Amino acid sequence: MNAETGVQIVIVVDDDVSMRNAISRLLNAVGLNVRTFASASEFLQSKLPEVPGCVVLDVKLPDLSGIELQREMVERGIHIPIVFITGHGDIPTSVQAMKAGAVEFLTKPFREEDLLDAVRSGIERDRHGRKERAELAELRRGLSQLTQREREVMSLVVAGLLNKQIALRLGASEKTIKIHRSHVMQKMGASSLAELVRMSQKLGIDRQS
Amino acid sequence: MNDVGESDPKLNDLPDRESEMVQGAADLRALCRQLSGVRAEEELHKTQAELAHVTRVTTVGELTASIAHELNQPLGAIVTNGYACLRLLSRENPDIEEARQAVECMIADSLRASEVIKRIRRLLKKSTAGKSSHNINNIVHEVLGLTAGELRRNGINVSTRLSNSLPYVLVDRVQIQQVVLNLILNSKEAMTGARWQPRELTIETGRTETDITVRITDTGVGISPEDRERVFEPFFTSKEGGLGLGLSISRTIINAHGGKLWIEPGPDERGTIAQFTLPVSESRNERRNRSSDRHRS
Repeated sequence: MNAETGVQIVIVVDDDVSMRNAISRLLNAVGLNVRTFASASEFLQSKLPEVPGCVVLDVKLPDLSGIELQREMVERGIHIPIVFITGHGDIPTSVQAMKAGAVEFLTKPFREEDLLDAVRSGIERDRHGRKERAELAELRRGLSQLTQREREVMSLVVAGLLNKQIALRLGASEKTIKIHRSHVMQKMGASSLAELVRMSQKLGIDRQS
Repeated sequence: MNDVGESDPKLNDLPDRESEMVQGAADLRALCRQLSGVRAEEELHKTQAELAHVTRVTTVGELTASIAHELNQPLGAIVTNGYACLRLLSRENPDIEEARQAVECMIADSLRASEVIKRIRRLLKKSTAGKSSHNINNIVHEVLGLTAGELRRNGINVSTRLSNSLPYVLVDRVQIQQVVLNLILNSKEAMTGARWQPRELTIETGRTETDITVRITDTGVGISPEDRERVFEPFFTSKEGGLGLGLSISRTIINAHGGKLWIEPGPDERGTIAQFTLPVSESRNERRNRSSDRHRS
């Protein structure tokens, strides 16, 4: 019966206590962990566990509107995907919400499957996003450990130049370049040239030719 | 009346008869005037009632989005609790206690939704039942119930100072509700400009020797001195798409109840105070009702 795997959290932000409790009850019934908040500020002040999650957010809140909260979250670097729910859906608001990256925009009363599908895809999106961000952080850490010279070598390597060509361009011996190159691979944790190229793309390093 | 074509001896009476006839005609004219006056007044009353109904419908129309929200909120909770309940019961080990709580919430929310509908129906009733004795505080509460969501969502803090020893007033409840609704929505409108602060709405009831008073104070943009009377003219409006009849109808209603409605600048010349009076009309019977009301509350 417990179809949900792994630890996750669904955050429900709605000022209406009945709605908040009902959503919480339903999500609990399918085995999801739930935290509820009555206002945007309560939610922003809370400390949330570092697990994949999803926010079920009422569009109209007493302090910040759901859309404003969405913007605030982006500014604060809170990446949790949002499923909007509303008592009275208007098209401009839903378009704005979706453009800003919302998972779904549901009008109350909504069907169970619509909510659960949206919440699950939100959690999945967060799981994926977290993995990506962790990877990127790891890559940045590797990059920061490179010396200036090693960075130069790395950008020429991923641009497809041979050691000989790099040596010529940087005015160093081919042997030195070889050493730099192996340091780059080691520090970046890359096992092949192809992987290093993929990493540099993720990091947005310009190819220098 | 007088015989016509009498013999000569009676001709002497002619001037008298003539004056009688003149008098009779005058009486008849006066009667006609009176009758048509009554009819005109009835017509006027009917027209006013219809106009009041139209503006009431329009005003409630302005609240549509808010009312839809007010209904969808409990409906959403009912449906969601229903789904949760089914899941809890169809488990291998059904969670009866949690399911029972879900059902209790569903009942409470259904009652909440039906209360919203009842309020709207009461306000939209076409034929106003005429005047009867009411406690003004109940009328204020009813309107606040209808507008609480709208005010809350606009970030407006509401405080009430309702005197709890007020005599009854003889009023058409729906019409007075309409006046209170109009004044509250005007105040809301005055405070919802972009980033406008503060947003405080205060509703007070009290009494003088002869009148009940209702004061609605807001911290909104206020009304310029030259507009303070003009706002009561028909079709004066500052709202886009507004009919401009709200305040003129409100004043007509209050005047028809023997009261007064006027607008003053708020404290320190900020915001607006809208105030109206209604004459006290309390019989001994009603006083008894009132004291039993107090016992109940």
